[in-house]
Amino acid sequence: MIKINSITKRYPTITALDNISLTINKQEFFGLLGPNGAGKTTLMNLLVGYLNPDQGEIHIAGEKVTQDGLHTRKNIGLVPQSLALYDDLSAQDNLDIFGSFYHIEKNLLKERIKEKLESVQLYERRKDKVKTFSGGMKRRLNLVASMLHDPPILLCDEPTVGIDPQSRNAIFDYLLMLNEKGKTIVYTTHYMEEAERLCKRIAIIDFGKIIAEGTIDELIEKLPYDETILITKNQITVSKIDVLKQFGSIIDEDDHFQLKPNAGFQLSQFFSSLEKHTISYKFVELHKPTLESYFLHLTGRRLRD
Amino acid sequence: MKTVLQLIRKDYKLFWSDRRAVSMTFIIPIALIIIWGAVFGNINKGGTATKLHLAFLNNSTSPIGKKIERVLDSSKTFVLIKSYKDENGKRIPFDTSSIQNFVRKGSVSAALVIPVDALSDTAFGLKLKFYYDPKNDLEMQMIDGMLQKTIMTEIPDIFMQGMKNQAVKFLGSDSGKAFNNEIAKTVGKYFKIDPKWITNPPIDSLMSMSGGSDSARNSFFQNILQLDKVQLVGQDIANPWATRSVGGWAMMFLLFTLTATSSALFEEKKSGVVLRLLASPISRVQILWSKYLYNMSLGFIQLLILFSAGALLYQIDIFSNFINLVLIIIAAATACTAFGMLLSSISRTAGQANGYGMFLILAMSSIGGAWFPTSFMPDFIQTISKFTIVYWSMDGILQVLWRSAGIIDILLNIGILIGIAALITSISIWQFKKGHVF
Repeated sequence: MIKINSITKRYPTITALDNISLTINKQEFFGLLGPNGAGKTTLMNLLVGYLNPDQGEIHIAGEKVTQDGLHTRKNIGLVPQSLALYDDLSAQDNLDIFGSFYHIEKNLLKERIKEKLESVQLYERRKDKVKTFSGGMKRRLNLVASMLHDPPILLCDEPTVGIDPQSRNAIFDYLLMLNEKGKTIVYTTHYMEEAERLCKRIAIIDFGKIIAEGTIDELIEKLPYDETILITKNQITVSKIDVLKQFGSIIDEDDHFQLKPNAGFQLSQFFSSLEKHTISYKFVELHKPTLESYFLHLTGRRLRD
Repeated sequence: MKTVLQLIRKDYKLFWSDRRAVSMTFIIPIALIIIWGAVFGNINKGGTATKLHLAFLNNSTSPIGKKIERVLDSSKTFVLIKSYKDENGKRIPFDTSSIQNFVRKGSVSAALVIPVDALSDTAFGLKLKFYYDPKNDLEMQMIDGMLQKTIMTEIPDIFMQGMKNQAVKFLGSDSGKAFNNEIAKTVGKYFKIDPKWITNPPIDSLMSMSGGSDSARNSFFQNILQLDKVQLVGQDIANPWATRSVGGWAMMFLLFTLTATSSALFEEKKSGVVLRLLASPISRVQILWSKYLYNMSLGFIQLLILFSAGALLYQIDIFSNFINLVLIIIAAATACTAFGMLLSSISRTAGQANGYGMFLILAMSSIGGAWFPTSFMPDFIQTISKFTIVYWSMDGILQVLWRSAGIIDILLNIGILIGIAALITSISIWQFKKGHVF
């Protein structure tokens, strides 16, 4: 459905995307995970034809995406990172304006506006000015404003930035429902929890390069250990940190140490050593590795650094 | 105290980092002071640094007529225009009819004609014809005042001497002198002027007129110099002041409106709406065209409403030449819209666009003639003013409202405004392609 071939995009002082290639399949929920400034938004802007690449090509449903190619945009709905709404107009007026650009028949548009507003629980507030909405309500409206032309592909650029957990969950449920109904969704985020919850397949992007790609299980499988170990930071553990270092690399975090085990790590040996050095088990927690662990493993940095 | 100083230091640092604030605080006011200094400085000097243009025709063969012509020719105040160019570009000396047409066309604000019978043997004073077009009231009043002052300063000695000579010629030397003395006593008695002052008027002090009451002196000199004033244009206009002013003010507000609406593009960009629009099947060219047409139509409606308000409140006649008014309004709105789009294309933020806009609007309005007639301004500013939208719009509007000009008469204004719009729009498109906004 979406084919990205060797895309490079440079700005005067930075190469935002460096020779990126990706294929996103029809009806896939694809995540683009990376820290701020990794190049996610630039890639979205290229996908939608807002920017032209310096090198490479993008094809959507077989059509090449360019700044001048308006036809491909009918297949795409972009949910921008910012709240691209007219604050002084009502929710209904906003949708009416944005829907009109797709030349949808008047009654059909009216129907769709009603349906979309109902689906995000905003129908009762349709006549209220957007500026009176909460952040979560604006985010929901921002989402449905991109879907009035019923596009097969939805590009969501960090659509849950700055909202409460309840609204975030509502948006997640809505997107999952759309994906189940056959929409292809490309979702950018720097929250690994979001990617883990929503995406069937992800690409990790950092400094404009794709550093990993696959399903979450595939990526975590690539880690040289099966679990991460969190050790509470206190007088005892701090004084015996050298003992812990024998088993892997230690990352000093706010209130705990994170141990990334070495290859060949044996859990039994680890616990024996704790017992021998009188370090209580209650200071130790075992965790399944996450995308965060994988990102840390690949880059030495946390996603939100 | 140290904390206060640190806070002050912080404020200066923030101020200095905001280029727009710095330029609005220092550079733009200095630039405006220079422009206004040139404009107002000249006006405060009585407009004398710039010569006033006066059409002139001397039909009299009298020495006084020649003297007036010589005096005006050598005057630092006036530039006399004694001929006009015909269709072939050939210079033709004025006659009584062509000099009036010259004023009617708006080529000058006033014309002075010394008629054949300017100084008759039977009349006491000097009769001159003064044709004028009060399209610029201030300019016309200045010409009128300066003209009377110049003539009265230079002419009385000849005039008095001429009268005394006439008396001596007809009555003989002794009787003539006695007659002159008696005349002086009689005139002095009735006009309450010292007879000695009449028989030997001190030329330098004539204008200061020591002795006698003001009204009597005025009455006396009004009889000496009779300016027969004929208004050639705008006689039927109900409210000359409003008709003359409305164009300038309307243009200034139009520019303010269009600057504000054009800077709205930055708000749309900031909110992400521009991205949303461009993610739908809409091209950049379509967005620009929509903005252009929206602003142009808004500008047109604004001008139309302003003129209608003028018609309602001040009896400005907009309907007798309505189609031509609409045409010039469309041309003005087109040029002003182009100006607004240029501001958007060269600015990086709405604040910058508003800052540049404020500077350019005030500068264009002052030198373009929205506040004062351009004829009072130094020559170099008059030249610059012809590059402003305000000048050509105001001139066109004034021609339509004041002179009931037809389409041919305003074709030049429309052409220049559309030309300016085309040029500015080309620059804007070039700038937009460089991608500050999109």
